Amino acid sequence: MNPQDTLHRQLEVMRPLLVRFAQLQIRNQALAEDAVQDALIAVLEKPERFTGASSLRTYVTGILKFKIIDCLRSSTRERQLEAEPQQSDDDLIDALFLANGHTVTAPTAWGDPDATLTQKDFFRTLELCLEKLPAQTARVFMMREWLELETEEICKELTITSANAWVLLYRARVRLRECLDLNWFGQRVPQ
Amino acid sequence: MNNPDKTGLKPTCREAHRLVSEGMDRELSFVERSRLRVHLMVCDACTRFNGQMGLLRSAMRGFPDDSAD
Repeated sequence: MNPQDTLHRQLEVMRPLLVRFAQLQIRNQALAEDAVQDALIAVLEKPERFTGASSLRTYVTGILKFKIIDCLRSSTRERQLEAEPQQSDDDLIDALFLANGHTVTAPTAWGDPDATLTQKDFFRTLELCLEKLPAQTARVFMMREWLELETEEICKELTITSANAWVLLYRARVRLRECLDLNWFGQRVPQ
Repeated sequence: MNNPDKTGLKPTCREAHRLVSEGMDRELSFVERSRLRVHLMVCDACTRFNGQMGLLRSAMRGFPDDSAD
């Protein structure tokens, strides 16, 4: 295989994962597929730009992030957030604390963080936990933590207040923490 | 006051949890930072929560991981 074919093949293998990621941001499969396709085409058109300094996946992910930001900016329809019932989320935070403000159950130890991040299945579990978040919560969280946008920018794009964004981010983190605790750390014997 | 996070003199876990999260998204005020720091010194539960939030952030920054297929 010539290098171009090899690159093509590698990108094809990567594509489903990238689409799943795009979909966490853009909850419209066609638009998500488009963003991924744009990113892959950008790589294939200028393969010489990939210098191998980072891994191919990191490189493609970087380009995809820009494509997703473009898509979020240009698609007004996508930007509009469906109203979500907030009651269950408030209950979610309330349930963590006693009336005196102490935690009901203290978070359990998660062990060595560096070791965790090298385990392949951990990222799969994290992905499943992200997919379980309510759409609006997931979008704000992904914009903040994956696209690494500042809160001001997220607020501008989604026309929400900063207080609103902080609450959504807090809820997302609490939900993800619980999901990981249950589905990853909870099942593992401490080493 | 009705805000359950505002608990007077002593910072509670409830306030500390929220400050840990908000501190990842905005610069906390001097007072907020001090209250959080004092609370983390004496509270294992919130210190653990703080560490877990850090892990979550590192994980997201490295996502999707090269090994994740």
